[in-house]
Amino acid sequence: MAGTGNLADHDPVAVARQFGEQVPHSRDLGMQVLAMEADQVRMRLVPGPELRADDAAEELCTSVLYSLVDSACGLAVFAALRELKPIATLDLRMDYLRPAANKRALVAIAHCHHLTDDVAFLRCPVFSEGLDGPVAIGNATFMRATQGKHFETTASRSDAV
Amino acid sequence: MSEAADPMSSSTLDRDVHADTQATWQSLLERIPYARHLGLEVQHSGTRVQVHLPYRDALIGNIMLPAVHGGAIGGLIEITARIAAQSRDARARRPRILDCNVDYLRSARARSTYAAAEIVRQGRRTTLVHVSCWQDRASTPVAHGRVQLLFETVPNGKTREQQ
Repeated sequence: MAGTGNLADHDPVAVARQFGEQVPHSRDLGMQVLAMEADQVRMRLVPGPELRADDAAEELCTSVLYSLVDSACGLAVFAALRELKPIATLDLRMDYLRPAANKRALVAIAHCHHLTDDVAFLRCPVFSEGLDGPVAIGNATFMRATQGKHFETTASRSDAV
Repeated sequence: MSEAADPMSSSTLDRDVHADTQATWQSLLERIPYARHLGLEVQHSGTRVQVHLPYRDALIGNIMLPAVHGGAIGGLIEITARIAAQSRDARARRPRILDCNVDYLRSARARSTYAAAEIVRQGRRTTLVHVSCWQDRASTPVAHGRVQLLFETVPNGKTREQQ
């Protein structure tokens, strides 16, 4: 990617934010990063008609909310850690509380509520803009430092395979 | 999916049943704008009907690996579960997805991904579906999902959206 030589000079959170908006799938669905703070990441998506659940309904496909939550949670891990080591989604559970109207923008607010050396736990409600209460809630678990740490461990341990 | 549920099983009958299932799934899939956007298509491979997510650059979630976005895999799982459940409903009603839980087993690389569904329980109102996703071989899945769906019983013909 252009300009990667300057990455070290930049704030890792700013870099992660830029990365987040450049992810092809996120761009394809129209996701924007509204805010990226240590305790929360807010992302917004203005749905197009191609994201609906059915030709006969003005309702969003739940999978669009799923993608938004996965993206927001990933960024929230970077925001909480303030480092750019690779991470991987272990699992993500979505509860779809009620249908989301296609006419309204979605806003996801991801929060990393617990961190261990290996794992990050996240919670992410999704709102239909202008309506009270979430339309969906996601809970995700991410593995931290999926590559860097592994290399360190195998190099420093004599019993490593 | 269980063999016990199909006492008349013979290879010819199986083929007809699968061709029929494939046609039903395809017609359900074609009504879903987001499924068309993802490029999903129904395939018939050996003894199973499966959903194919063809690779496109727009599905990438990790530019470095590169890997398909976990959300695109989640979408493949949810939509496969939905059409599997819907095809079993006598009136082919559209079920509502209540919850979805995906375990990611290995990263999905920049190539085709496939999904197959197993109906775990079909109740009066809810259906539980397990979905397995793989790329190279079904024996090395990239993700497993479980999806709970609801066939709403709406007494007054109104949606529950306002509640």
